[in-house]
Amino acid sequence: MSNRLLDWCFKKSIWVYHVNTGSCNGCDIEILDVLTPYYDCERFGIKLIHTPRHADALLVTGPVTRQVRERVLRLHQAVPDPKLVIAVGSCPTGGGIWHDSYATCGGLGNVLPVDIYIPGCPPRPEAILYGVAQALGLVPKHVEARTYVEE
Amino acid sequence: MFKHAISELKEVILCLKAGQVTLGYPFEPHPPESGFRGLPRLDGDKCIGCGACANACPPRLISLDDQDGYRTIDFALARCTYCARCRDVCPQQALAMSDQFETATPSPGDLHITIKLRLVRCRECGAVVGTRRAVNKVLNEIPEKLGLPPEKMDWLDVCLSCKRVRALREAVLMAEVDS
Repeated sequence: MSNRLLDWCFKKSIWVYHVNTGSCNGCDIEILDVLTPYYDCERFGIKLIHTPRHADALLVTGPVTRQVRERVLRLHQAVPDPKLVIAVGSCPTGGGIWHDSYATCGGLGNVLPVDIYIPGCPPRPEAILYGVAQALGLVPKHVEARTYVEE
Repeated sequence: MFKHAISELKEVILCLKAGQVTLGYPFEPHPPESGFRGLPRLDGDKCIGCGACANACPPRLISLDDQDGYRTIDFALARCTYCARCRDVCPQQALAMSDQFETATPSPGDLHITIKLRLVRCRECGAVVGTRRAVNKVLNEIPEKLGLPPEKMDWLDVCLSCKRVRALREAVLMAEVDS
Protein backbone atom coordinates (compact mmCIF):
# COMPACT_ATOMS: atom_id res chain seq x y z
CA MET A 1 0.00 0.00 0.00
CA SER A 2 2.70 2.48 1.07
CA ASN A 3 4.76 1.52 -1.98
CA ARG A 4 1.86 2.23 -4.31
CA LEU A 5 1.27 5.54 -2.58
CA LEU A 6 4.97 6.39 -3.03
CA ASP A 7 4.81 5.42 -6.71
CA TRP A 8 1.83 7.65 -7.22
CA CYS A 9 3.41 10.57 -5.37
CA PHE A 10 6.70 10.42 -7.26
CA LYS A 11 5.26 9.78 -10.73
CA LYS A 12 5.69 13.42 -11.69
CA SER A 13 8.54 15.81 -11.04
CA ILE A 14 10.61 15.50 -7.91
CA TRP A 15 12.24 18.54 -6.43
CA VAL A 16 15.46 17.95 -4.61
CA TYR A 17 17.14 19.87 -1.84
CA HIS A 18 20.90 19.57 -1.76
CA VAL A 19 22.53 19.17 1.68
CA ASN A 20 26.29 19.31 2.15
CA THR A 21 27.19 17.61 5.41
CA GLY A 22 30.94 18.14 5.42
CA SER A 23 31.63 16.95 1.89
CA CYS A 24 34.85 17.86 0.06
CA ASN A 25 32.74 19.41 -2.77
CA GLY A 26 33.66 16.64 -5.23
CA CYS A 27 30.13 15.20 -5.17
CA ASP A 28 28.59 18.70 -5.11
CA ILE A 29 30.34 19.53 -8.37
CA GLU A 30 29.02 16.31 -9.93
CA ILE A 31 25.51 17.26 -8.79
CA LEU A 32 25.96 20.61 -10.51
CA ASP A 33 27.03 18.70 -13.63
CA VAL A 34 23.74 16.80 -13.59
CA LEU A 35 21.91 20.13 -13.68
CA THR A 36 23.79 21.46 -16.73
CA PRO A 37 22.26 21.19 -20.24
CA TYR A 38 24.72 18.37 -21.04
CA TYR A 39 23.04 15.95 -18.61
CA ASP A 40 19.86 18.02 -18.24
CA CYS A 41 18.00 16.34 -15.40
CA GLU A 42 15.18 18.85 -15.71
CA ARG A 43 13.83 16.86 -18.66
CA PHE A 44 12.83 14.27 -16.01
CA GLY A 45 11.33 16.96 -13.81
CA ILE A 46 14.19 16.82 -11.32
CA LYS A 47 14.84 20.32 -10.11
CA LEU A 48 17.09 21.80 -7.46
CA ILE A 49 15.07 23.79 -4.97
CA HIS A 50 16.31 26.14 -2.27
CA THR A 51 14.00 25.39 0.62
CA PRO A 52 13.46 21.99 2.23
CA ARG A 53 9.75 22.75 2.71
CA HIS A 54 9.16 22.54 -1.06
CA ALA A 55 11.38 19.49 -1.57
CA ASP A 56 10.48 15.86 -2.26
CA ALA A 57 13.99 14.51 -1.82
CA LEU A 58 17.09 15.30 0.19
CA LEU A 59 20.31 14.92 -1.79
CA VAL A 60 22.94 14.45 0.92
CA THR A 61 26.71 14.57 0.33
CA GLY A 62 29.46 14.27 2.93
CA PRO A 63 30.14 11.93 5.88
CA VAL A 64 27.77 13.80 8.28
CA THR A 65 30.06 15.57 10.71
CA ARG A 66 29.08 15.81 14.35
CA GLN A 67 28.52 19.55 14.00
CA VAL A 68 26.05 19.16 11.15
CA ARG A 69 24.13 16.16 12.52
CA GLU A 70 21.53 18.30 14.34
CA ARG A 71 20.94 20.40 11.22
CA VAL A 72 20.47 17.34 9.02
CA LEU A 73 17.88 15.96 11.42
CA ARG A 74 16.05 19.31 11.43
CA LEU A 75 16.17 19.47 7.62
CA HIS A 76 14.74 15.97 7.43
CA GLN A 77 11.88 17.05 9.67
CA ALA A 78 11.27 20.12 7.52
CA VAL A 79 10.73 18.08 4.34
CA PRO A 80 7.06 17.14 3.95
CA ASP A 81 6.09 13.45 3.74
CA PRO A 82 6.46 11.33 1.65
CA LYS A 83 10.13 12.04 1.19
CA LEU A 84 13.19 10.40 -0.31
CA VAL A 85 16.66 10.52 1.21
CA ILE A 86 19.42 10.05 -1.38
CA ALA A 87 23.03 9.58 -0.24
CA VAL A 88 25.47 10.74 -2.93
CA GLY A 89 29.07 9.56 -2.74
CA SER A 90 31.13 7.13 -0.70
CA CYS A 91 31.10 9.36 2.40
CA PRO A 92 27.36 9.22 3.20
CA THR A 93 27.21 5.61 1.96
CA GLY A 94 29.82 4.07 4.24
CA GLY A 95 31.67 6.94 5.88
CA GLY A 96 34.44 7.09 3.25
CA ILE A 97 37.95 7.66 4.55
CA TRP A 98 36.39 9.15 7.69
CA HIS A 99 34.40 6.05 8.61
CA ASP A 100 36.12 5.72 12.01
CA SER A 101 36.81 9.40 12.71
CA TYR A 102 35.58 10.90 15.99
CA ALA A 103 34.37 13.99 14.12
CA THR A 104 31.85 12.24 11.82
CA CYS A 105 28.85 9.97 12.28
CA GLY A 106 30.37 7.46 9.82
CA GLY A 107 27.79 7.76 7.09
CA LEU A 108 24.23 8.94 6.64
CA GLY A 109 22.77 5.51 7.44
CA ASN A 110 23.66 6.05 11.11
CA VAL A 111 21.63 9.26 11.24
CA LEU A 112 18.63 9.00 8.88
CA PRO A 113 16.66 6.26 7.11
CA VAL A 114 18.19 6.33 3.61
CA ASP A 115 16.24 5.26 0.50
CA ILE A 116 19.08 4.97 -1.97
CA TYR A 117 22.87 4.98 -1.73
CA ILE A 118 24.93 6.17 -4.71
CA PRO A 119 28.56 5.15 -4.06
CA GLY A 120 31.45 6.73 -5.93
CA CYS A 121 34.23 9.13 -5.09
CA PRO A 122 32.71 11.15 -6.66
CA PRO A 123 29.98 9.25 -8.57
CA ARG A 124 29.69 10.02 -12.29
CA PRO A 125 26.81 12.33 -13.18
CA GLU A 126 25.30 9.34 -15.00
CA ALA A 127 25.53 7.33 -11.78
CA ILE A 128 23.61 10.04 -9.92
CA LEU A 129 20.91 10.06 -12.61
CA TYR A 130 20.76 6.27 -12.44
CA GLY A 131 20.51 6.35 -8.64
CA VAL A 132 17.67 8.86 -8.62
CA ALA A 133 15.86 6.86 -11.31
CA GLN A 134 16.27 3.72 -9.19
CA ALA A 135 14.90 5.52 -6.13
CA LEU A 136 11.84 6.36 -8.25
CA GLY A 137 11.50 2.71 -9.27
CA LEU A 138 12.24 3.26 -12.97
CA VAL A 139 15.36 1.07 -13.36
CA PRO A 140 16.45 -2.21 -11.70
CA LYS A 141 19.40 -2.67 -9.34
CA HIS A 142 22.64 -3.88 -10.95
CA VAL A 143 24.90 -4.77 -7.99
CA GLU A 144 24.83 -7.72 -5.61
CA ALA A 145 27.14 -9.13 -2.97
CA ARG A 146 29.67 -11.63 -4.35
CA THR A 147 31.15 -14.57 -2.48
CA TYR A 148 33.95 -16.95 -3.44
CA VAL A 149 34.88 -20.03 -1.41
CA GLU A 150 37.93 -22.16 -2.18
CA GLU A 151 37.11 -25.88 -2.35
CA MET B 1 20.95 49.33 -37.30
CA PHE B 2 21.94 47.20 -40.31
CA LYS B 3 25.15 46.14 -38.56
CA HIS B 4 23.18 45.10 -35.53
CA ALA B 5 20.82 42.97 -37.59
CA ILE B 6 23.76 41.19 -39.23
CA SER B 7 25.36 40.37 -35.88
CA GLU B 8 22.05 39.00 -34.64
CA LEU B 9 21.72 36.91 -37.78
CA LYS B 10 25.23 35.54 -37.13
CA GLU B 11 24.16 34.58 -33.63
CA VAL B 12 21.11 32.74 -34.96
CA ILE B 13 23.30 30.76 -37.37
CA LEU B 14 25.70 29.90 -34.52
CA CYS B 15 22.84 28.68 -32.36
CA LEU B 16 21.48 26.53 -35.18
CA LYS B 17 24.93 25.06 -35.82
CA ALA B 18 25.40 24.03 -32.18
CA GLY B 19 22.53 21.56 -32.40
CA GLN B 20 21.61 19.38 -29.42
CA VAL B 21 24.19 18.91 -26.69
CA THR B 22 22.15 16.91 -24.19
CA LEU B 23 23.23 13.30 -23.72
CA GLY B 24 20.71 10.56 -24.33
CA TYR B 25 22.10 8.74 -21.30
CA PRO B 26 19.24 6.97 -19.54
CA PHE B 27 17.79 5.87 -22.89
CA GLU B 28 21.06 4.94 -24.56
CA PRO B 29 24.26 3.71 -22.89
CA HIS B 30 27.11 6.11 -22.22
CA PRO B 31 30.17 3.99 -21.37
CA PRO B 32 33.00 5.73 -19.50
CA GLU B 33 36.38 6.58 -21.02
CA SER B 34 39.10 3.93 -20.92
CA GLY B 35 40.99 4.14 -17.63
CA PHE B 36 37.83 4.88 -15.68
CA ARG B 37 37.95 3.28 -12.24
CA GLY B 38 34.60 1.71 -11.42
CA LEU B 39 33.55 -1.01 -9.00
CA PRO B 40 36.56 -3.28 -8.20
CA ARG B 41 36.31 -6.89 -9.35
CA LEU B 42 38.14 -9.73 -7.62
CA ASP B 43 39.15 -12.87 -9.50
CA GLY B 44 38.65 -15.55 -6.86
CA ASP B 45 40.76 -18.10 -8.75
CA LYS B 46 43.84 -15.86 -8.74
CA CYS B 47 43.77 -14.41 -5.20
CA ILE B 48 46.26 -15.99 -2.77
CA GLY B 49 45.04 -14.09 0.29
CA CYS B 50 48.32 -12.32 1.06
CA GLY B 51 46.56 -9.20 2.36
CA ALA B 52 48.68 -6.68 0.43
CA CYS B 53 45.50 -4.89 -0.65
CA ALA B 54 44.34 -4.61 2.97
CA ASN B 55 47.62 -2.85 3.83
CA ALA B 56 47.33 -0.41 0.93
CA CYS B 57 43.64 0.53 1.17
CA PRO B 58 43.21 4.16 2.39
CA PRO B 59 39.65 3.74 3.80
CA ARG B 60 40.65 0.37 5.32
CA LEU B 61 37.69 -1.45 3.82
CA ILE B 62 39.44 -4.80 3.33
CA SER B 63 39.38 -6.97 6.44
CA LEU B 64 41.18 -10.30 7.01
CA ASP B 65 39.86 -12.85 9.45
CA ASP B 66 41.46 -16.26 10.15
CA GLN B 67 38.89 -18.71 11.49
CA ASP B 68 37.87 -22.37 11.18
CA GLY B 69 40.62 -23.25 8.72
CA TYR B 70 39.69 -20.44 6.34
CA ARG B 71 40.97 -16.92 5.78
CA THR B 72 38.00 -14.68 5.05
CA ILE B 73 38.78 -11.50 3.13
CA ASP B 74 35.91 -9.05 3.03
CA PHE B 75 35.70 -5.95 0.84
CA ALA B 76 33.14 -3.49 2.26
CA LEU B 77 32.97 -1.46 -0.95
CA ALA B 78 30.40 1.01 0.37
CA ARG B 79 33.23 3.31 1.44
CA CYS B 80 35.54 2.58 -1.51
CA THR B 81 37.24 5.69 -2.89
CA TYR B 82 38.14 3.96 -6.20
CA CYS B 83 41.85 4.86 -5.90
CA ALA B 84 42.90 1.44 -7.34
CA ARG B 85 45.82 1.06 -4.91
CA CYS B 86 44.64 -2.49 -4.17
CA ARG B 87 44.92 -3.27 -7.88
CA ASP B 88 48.39 -1.72 -8.06
CA VAL B 89 49.83 -3.72 -5.15
CA CYS B 90 48.20 -7.08 -5.95
CA PRO B 91 51.04 -9.52 -6.76
CA GLN B 92 48.64 -11.87 -8.57
CA GLN B 93 46.78 -9.27 -10.68
CA ALA B 94 43.62 -10.68 -9.12
CA LEU B 95 42.00 -7.26 -8.71
CA ALA B 96 40.76 -5.13 -11.57
CA MET B 97 38.73 -1.95 -11.75
CA SER B 98 35.66 -2.60 -13.87
CA ASP B 99 33.85 0.13 -15.77
CA GLN B 100 30.65 -0.44 -13.83
CA PHE B 101 29.40 2.85 -12.43
CA GLU B 102 25.70 2.00 -12.01
CA THR B 103 26.22 0.91 -8.42
CA ALA B 104 23.31 2.64 -6.68
CA THR B 105 21.56 0.37 -4.20
CA PRO B 106 19.00 0.66 -1.40
CA SER B 107 21.25 -1.34 0.98
CA PRO B 108 25.04 -0.99 1.31
CA GLY B 109 25.20 -4.73 2.04
CA ASP B 110 25.07 -5.30 -1.73
CA LEU B 111 28.49 -3.70 -2.05
CA HIS B 112 30.47 -6.59 -0.58
CA ILE B 113 33.00 -9.03 -2.01
CA THR B 114 33.83 -11.96 0.26
CA ILE B 115 36.48 -14.57 -0.47
CA LYS B 116 37.34 -17.60 1.69
CA LEU B 117 40.69 -19.34 1.24
CA ARG B 118 42.07 -22.39 3.05
CA LEU B 119 44.72 -21.78 5.72
CA VAL B 120 47.95 -23.62 6.43
CA ARG B 121 48.76 -23.98 10.13
CA CYS B 122 52.20 -24.48 11.66
CA ARG B 123 52.86 -28.18 12.04
CA GLU B 124 54.62 -27.63 15.38
CA CYS B 125 52.57 -25.04 17.25
CA GLY B 126 49.38 -24.65 15.18
CA ALA B 127 49.71 -20.91 14.54
CA VAL B 128 48.60 -19.56 11.17
CA VAL B 129 51.36 -19.61 8.53
CA GLY B 130 49.39 -18.34 5.53
CA THR B 131 46.91 -19.50 2.97
CA ARG B 132 47.44 -22.77 1.14
CA ARG B 133 47.66 -20.92 -2.16
CA ALA B 134 50.37 -18.57 -0.87
CA VAL B 135 52.43 -21.50 0.46
CA ASN B 136 52.00 -23.37 -2.84
CA LYS B 137 53.09 -20.28 -4.77
CA VAL B 138 56.34 -20.12 -2.78
CA LEU B 139 56.81 -23.86 -3.20
CA ASN B 140 56.42 -23.63 -6.97
CA GLU B 141 58.43 -20.49 -7.67
CA ILE B 142 61.22 -20.09 -5.09
CA PRO B 143 63.28 -23.30 -5.61
CA GLU B 144 63.61 -22.54 -9.33
CA LYS B 145 64.52 -18.89 -8.84
CA LEU B 146 67.07 -19.39 -6.05
CA GLY B 147 68.29 -22.84 -7.03
CA LEU B 148 67.39 -24.29 -3.64
CA PRO B 149 67.19 -28.06 -3.17
CA PRO B 150 63.56 -29.16 -2.72
CA GLU B 151 64.23 -30.80 0.66
CA LYS B 152 64.88 -27.32 2.12
CA MET B 153 61.27 -26.42 1.38
CA ASP B 154 59.85 -28.62 4.15
CA TRP B 155 60.23 -25.56 6.39
CA LEU B 156 57.39 -23.85 4.59
CA ASP B 157 54.58 -25.04 6.85
CA VAL B 158 56.38 -23.91 10.01
CA CYS B 159 55.55 -20.54 11.53
CA LEU B 160 58.14 -17.81 12.05
CA SER B 161 58.82 -18.36 15.75
CA CYS B 162 59.05 -22.14 15.36
CA LYS B 163 61.45 -21.61 12.43
CA ARG B 164 63.75 -19.59 14.71
CA VAL B 165 63.75 -22.31 17.36
CA ARG B 166 64.41 -24.96 14.74
CA ALA B 167 67.22 -23.01 13.11
CA LEU B 168 68.91 -22.50 16.47
CA ARG B 169 68.54 -26.15 17.41
CA GLU B 170 70.01 -27.34 14.12
CA ALA B 171 72.93 -24.94 14.42
CA VAL B 172 73.69 -26.27 17.95
CA LEU B 173 73.50 -29.85 16.68
CA MET B 174 75.84 -29.02 13.81
CA ALA B 175 78.27 -27.39 16.24
CA GLU B 176 78.27 -30.51 18.41
CA VAL B 177 78.94 -32.69 15.36
CA ASP B 178 81.78 -30.41 14.29
CA SER B 179 83.44 -30.54 17.68
